[in-house]
Amino acid sequence: MIEGTKRIDSNRVEVPLGFVDGMRVPGIIYIDSVLERYLEGASVRQVANVATLPGIVRASLAMPDVHTGYGFSIGGVAAFDLQEGIISPGGVGYDIN
Amino acid sequence: MRDLVEVLYREIPSGVGSKGKLRLSKEDEKRIIRKGALWAVENGMGEKEDLDHTESGGVLEGADPAVISDKAYERGAAQQGTLGSGNHFLEIQYVEEIYDEAAASRLGIFPEQVTIMIHTGSRGFGHQVCTDYLEVMERAVRKYGIKLPDRELACAPFNSPEAQDYMAAMKAAANYAWANRQCITHWCREAIMKTLGLSPGDLGLSLIYDVAHNIAKVEEHMVEGRIKSLVVHRKGATRAFPPGHRELPDDYRPVGQPVLIPGDMGRASYLLLGTERAMEETFGSTCHGAGRVLSRHQAIRQAKGRAIWREMEDAGIIVRSAGKKTLAEEMSEAYKDISNVVEVVHNAGISRKVARMRPMGVVKG
Repeated sequence: MIEGTKRIDSNRVEVPLGFVDGMRVPGIIYIDSVLERYLEGASVRQVANVATLPGIVRASLAMPDVHTGYGFSIGGVAAFDLQEGIISPGGVGYDIN
Repeated sequence: MRDLVEVLYREIPSGVGSKGKLRLSKEDEKRIIRKGALWAVENGMGEKEDLDHTESGGVLEGADPAVISDKAYERGAAQQGTLGSGNHFLEIQYVEEIYDEAAASRLGIFPEQVTIMIHTGSRGFGHQVCTDYLEVMERAVRKYGIKLPDRELACAPFNSPEAQDYMAAMKAAANYAWANRQCITHWCREAIMKTLGLSPGDLGLSLIYDVAHNIAKVEEHMVEGRIKSLVVHRKGATRAFPPGHRELPDDYRPVGQPVLIPGDMGRASYLLLGTERAMEETFGSTCHGAGRVLSRHQAIRQAKGRAIWREMEDAGIIVRSAGKKTLAEEMSEAYKDISNVVEVVHNAGISRKVARMRPMGVVKG
């Protein structure tokens, strides 16, 4: 278990507000205890960092195949409001589509 | 199988910076950018039915050739219709297990059926688009005074010209990727027909689904009881829309959107379906693959002195690769077990298992 995270149920871990400064929404990582062994602290931090971006809606999400990427974790999902939100190339990555 | 893998390796260009059979002018590339997979079909590579079974019909509206750098055009000119390297692959698989017979049959999947899975994207073209726009965004961050915890999160307000240009360029790359897989699909069909001496009618190689997993899209989602348009970023995540969604083709609407989850080259891949729960919790998204546990570097070190291709052959999988290094980087132990990953998304209800496929032949870049 990465310090500061909280297990919600057998398939989800929460990265609570305050894990990094300025988070607007929590992070939620879909992961069970088997895969949690591979969870990198850097990926969790990336999930939390994305939660600080303007206009993010509901939560910064990550899938069980999450690993550390450029800015955003690979396995990450984030949705932004069209008026207040942003778009980021790091949220798509280099291998587009 | 050995012959088939050899033919596919020969017919589908692969490897780092691989160049294809197509030599495109800038005007050709502009057409591809606007038309996506439709460009390939119009040029005799594939059927209209393929487009029905492709996310967004294989083309996003709003791709703009004017926001693409010369360097991206240069890199894209020879790479259309190529597999590339790294985790990109082409696999001949068979259906090893079915979890939902009714859904599988709706998708045209049955036990022991032979399937082909293709994993590649927009190649150097998309890579250059990302590189170009990261620079644009770094300037935008200063211009709009956005506070970031990590400069790699460089971004711009969605309504700004910088963001709109990136969106138009990213769509261009997405369309390039859809055209790329459509060309490869067509050449696979041709190669298999030729090798096995089959007619197009006997081949029966219809497209189950083509889906993106590194993309940003404007979509409608329910937020606090209201439908809102949002820009959903999926980076190593797959769209997983539920039954009844209007973006699904008629024949799949009763069961939901097919989701392809490639595993590592030695274990398995999965076919899943999108669910209502994904729509409610994850903006209609699920996982995309196994995810690495060893870095490329670590994998190469651990594979030293081993013949990965022979280990795979002993396990009944014929593999052909442009580079020995790729096989080391891509060996099974470098990845998490895909079954563990799929178990989580299935149990969490953000997609559901339909079938598991096992690799028999692998072409790697």
